[in-house]
Amino acid sequence: MRAPNKLKISLAVTAAASLIAATGCSANQPAGSSAGGSDKLEITSWWTSGSEADALNVLIDGVKASKAGLAVDNAAVSGGGGSNARQALAARLQAGSPPDSWQVHPAGQLKSYVDGGQVADLTELWTQNDWASQMPKDVAEAQQVNGKYYTVPIGVHRGNVLWTNPAVLSKANVKIDPAGGVDGLISSLKQVQAAGATPVCLGDKDIFASSQLLESIIMSRAGADNWKKIFTNEYSFDAPEVKQALEDYKTILSLANKDHSAITWDEASKKMANGACAVNLMGDWAYGELVNAKKKPGTDFAWVTFPGKEDIFDYVGDGFSIPANNIPHAEAANAWLKTLMDPKVQTDFAAKKGSIPAVKSADISGLSQYQQEAAKSFASAKVVSSLAHAQAAGAEFAQTYADAVSTFNGSGNADAFIASMTQAQKTQL
Amino acid sequence: MTTSTALPPAPASPGPRPTKQVPHNVKTSRRAAWIFAPSLLVSFLFVYVFIGITVYISLSNWKIGTSPNLSLRQPLGGTYAEIVQEQRFQADIRNVVIFTVIFLVLAILGGLIAALFIHHVSVGKGLFRTVFLLPYALSFIVTGVAWRWIFSPSTGVNEILRSMGIENPPGWTTDPTILGALNNPSGTDFLKVQFGIPVALLPIIFAAAWQLVGFAMAMYLAGLASIPEEHLEAASVDGANVWQRLRHIVLPQLWPSTITCFVLLLHVALKIFDLVVAMSGSGPGFVTDVPGIYIYNYLTSRYDKASAMAIILLLLTLAVIVPYLIRGYRKERKA
Repeated sequence: MRAPNKLKISLAVTAAASLIAATGCSANQPAGSSAGGSDKLEITSWWTSGSEADALNVLIDGVKASKAGLAVDNAAVSGGGGSNARQALAARLQAGSPPDSWQVHPAGQLKSYVDGGQVADLTELWTQNDWASQMPKDVAEAQQVNGKYYTVPIGVHRGNVLWTNPAVLSKANVKIDPAGGVDGLISSLKQVQAAGATPVCLGDKDIFASSQLLESIIMSRAGADNWKKIFTNEYSFDAPEVKQALEDYKTILSLANKDHSAITWDEASKKMANGACAVNLMGDWAYGELVNAKKKPGTDFAWVTFPGKEDIFDYVGDGFSIPANNIPHAEAANAWLKTLMDPKVQTDFAAKKGSIPAVKSADISGLSQYQQEAAKSFASAKVVSSLAHAQAAGAEFAQTYADAVSTFNGSGNADAFIASMTQAQKTQL
Repeated sequence: MTTSTALPPAPASPGPRPTKQVPHNVKTSRRAAWIFAPSLLVSFLFVYVFIGITVYISLSNWKIGTSPNLSLRQPLGGTYAEIVQEQRFQADIRNVVIFTVIFLVLAILGGLIAALFIHHVSVGKGLFRTVFLLPYALSFIVTGVAWRWIFSPSTGVNEILRSMGIENPPGWTTDPTILGALNNPSGTDFLKVQFGIPVALLPIIFAAAWQLVGFAMAMYLAGLASIPEEHLEAASVDGANVWQRLRHIVLPQLWPSTITCFVLLLHVALKIFDLVVAMSGSGPGFVTDVPGIYIYNYLTSRYDKASAMAIILLLLTLAVIVPYLIRGYRKERKA
């Protein structure tokens, strides 16, 4: 009889322990949603790291300045590239107690909130203030779903930047020409390899780093217009340019550090700056990361647009939306959205965040050299949305793409990749 | 009032007076029912109703986590038909089965050996016990980060191997090789993964076993303490050697501890998530992906798929637990 009793006791202990663990997770209280008073504002985001938090404070100070006596509750949730914050937000939306405003990527990610009827239609606010004319057409369009505006853009990141290590490149006597196309890039990388160095740093423990590399190659091979047509199913993943891009991707992967699946994107960027390899493809949030790591732009690291047949700007946007129902402080939320569109606020925000302002009238003369170049390119290049960041398409299609890239990384089977993506184009768009 | 006046004559009536006995029993069982009701209700609601809801969602059209769609998907069970064809799903099932089998063998054997060692060692018993049990007190995330550094191909243990003159040390969690693969899929067949032992999973299994060995050891130490000394003494007198005593007296009496370890460690293995996330993530070609990560990834993009995977995970668990429960129930009835 001893043993069954012991078993029962240990099972009971386990059950009790898991119950305690479960109750520990329920701490997502809607902070600051107390009743009364229009002089309060609660904002959620996933900006918690040093430079991000500073940038968010610029916005908070801005709205406080526009509305005297306003108390702002910064309810940022850290971790998981924003996925933790989105899970917490989803729980609050389901419970009917949303914050006054939350951070969102435009287009694809925005669409899931629109489909759920959870974000307010801001079209009236947009037309009243004539915001659409103040930014590039592509940015304005990304803030829409089915022709209506649901979000306000605060900044623009670029996804297709090739960060380079000048010392490693010059040692191999290589110069990467952004107009040289993917073929030019690959031959340069092979030259680096021949000189005895690792050509590419990649850190795809989180798969988005590979997804972003492959998407940059596809864009370069197929061109901006075809890339956009993928998401209306007018251009297939079965196209010869995509097949070529998959071959290129395989080649570039073979030129990368062998431990790429064990390291994260920021570790890979720093490896590049430390001279472990020649190049690293990453969005321009890497710029802030490298500067924070005391690396000098221009000497420790440099940058070129990912080489392609035309100048493409892979747009990853940040913006804010407000809830359609149960908004606690509507007036303050309105003031918040207007603050975000203030050109001076956008400039100050960009200075901290490393992105570039979304509005054209913002003064960029005080920003870093990289940001000024990016802003110039943003005005002239063809702007497309990133799929790796679920902006070009909805969450389901983006997840299918991420899974297909993971599978391809293991098997190198291009046919299987194309089969699953063409299938997804038919059923998930 | 009428009942109270009607009752008193009853005891006076002739017969075996069963009326007095029955209400007492009924009262106790009613009281028992009331005492148990809240916990029954809570466990019914939070376990079985929620399982039911998850089953329903897995059969519905609910895709985006934030916008519920409770209409049933046609044909029924289409989500299950969809996911079993996925390369990722097949890799996950392979991985979780391999993980569970190797992990259970390592953790239980390791725990048994550690317990036998500590039980028989004469000095530093407490020290060894603490040393073995300590990892169990840590979170998987904490040990996962440490193990990630140890098995990082460019640093960690490979530095030692390189200093010993090994030119090409293993890639550990980054190695996409499948050991002893039974098939070689072309990519268009139904089976999209190689079935075998993913090399990248081995460091993770080792780390998990390392952490849970202390738990198995504690179980076995309790079991060892309950074996009567007389049995062993009698066996020694009869001339049994160490191995014979272990084989015929100790191990059979430790069987209940083994079963307990098996059941408790099994659920650790099936729902493993945090350790894998910290050590390697999904890995190239999903060589280290597990159902827990699948569910987490699809929570916001495909709620129905995440739910279907959760149900499949539940069925996997039931496939092992139900025979065990039936066996225990039969034994109890025999006793």
